Amino acid sequence: MKLLCQFGVIFGVCWVSQILESLLPVPFPASVIGMVLLFALLATGVLKLEHVREKADFLLANMAFFFLPAGVNAMNYFDLLGSALVPLLVICLATTVLVFGATALSIKLTLRLMGRGKGHV
Amino acid sequence: MSEWTNSPFFGVAVSVAAFWIGVKLQKKTGLVVCNPLLVGVILTVGLLLALDIPYEHYDQGGSLINLFLSPATACLAVAIYSKVQLLKENWLPILVGCVVGSLVSMGSVLGLCRLFGLDEAMTASLLPKSVTTPIAVSVAQAHGGIPSITVVAVILTGILGSILAPLLIRLFRVKDPIAAGLSIGACSHAVGTSKALELGETEGAMSGLAIGVCGLVTVIFSLVLL
Repeated sequence: MKLLCQFGVIFGVCWVSQILESLLPVPFPASVIGMVLLFALLATGVLKLEHVREKADFLLANMAFFFLPAGVNAMNYFDLLGSALVPLLVICLATTVLVFGATALSIKLTLRLMGRGKGHV
Repeated sequence: MSEWTNSPFFGVAVSVAAFWIGVKLQKKTGLVVCNPLLVGVILTVGLLLALDIPYEHYDQGGSLINLFLSPATACLAVAIYSKVQLLKENWLPILVGCVVGSLVSMGSVLGLCRLFGLDEAMTASLLPKSVTTPIAVSVAQAHGGIPSITVVAVILTGILGSILAPLLIRLFRVKDPIAAGLSIGACSHAVGTSKALELGETEGAMSGLAIGVCGLVTVIFSLVLL
């Protein structure tokens, strides 16, 4: 029964998020609304961790699996993917290096300005 | 054969089996390239093509699995909430890093897509590719992208990020575990986070936090920029 309730709570939050998405004037994804909503419910104490923990652990631990069908769907776009393969690889490689560098340097700078991490930055 | 596969159970069973093989393969080889999701997708597509099974048959089960994406994304909140102390203590570097990382990611993807002359649908599919898959897919969809292209780009980015992470840490001389963890999470989301966990607990926790915060920041920027 405990798992069933957790299931209900999480799917209920997702349902409410979908309603909120349809009411919002901007394309804010329902799944992200769900994330914010669930965080707010936990932070305000309306929900306790034990109301969602096991089910959440199950979903988080198997997160990658739930994407399998979306990946398989790429087989319907083989032509498009094939024609853009080189740009795709270059873009993925270049942005990975750029994003890592930009994030790391901005945090180093922030920590230095905060006067923390002196000596080991 | 074709009436046998015309059932939602077929798609679910095949997906779980393919993913399970992927998990085993990664454990055995220890290679980041043997990402379970990547292996699972390749095996499933291979099976469908080899036995000439219609995609529509597979998708009866596939769409059931898809249903769990939104709840799984929402549960990132639970992961963030369980590290709320870390978030409170380091909110400024986390915020600065994730905002800069997300902006640079979207900016550089946009610039490179223009450079390669990719069309709007392709650009929208790639734009959110540094954030975790469910958020990336929602953002791509909302702006006219093709979700499955986004999934491919997100997985590729994640694998590249976790392979390159140790190298990048040396290249940019990142000695602080907070900076290292956040940078890995910002550029290679959940796949990178498993690598960050190998580097240390702080790195792992920070990388996990970056997934949620970067996702949120990317959604907000995509609303403003697009």
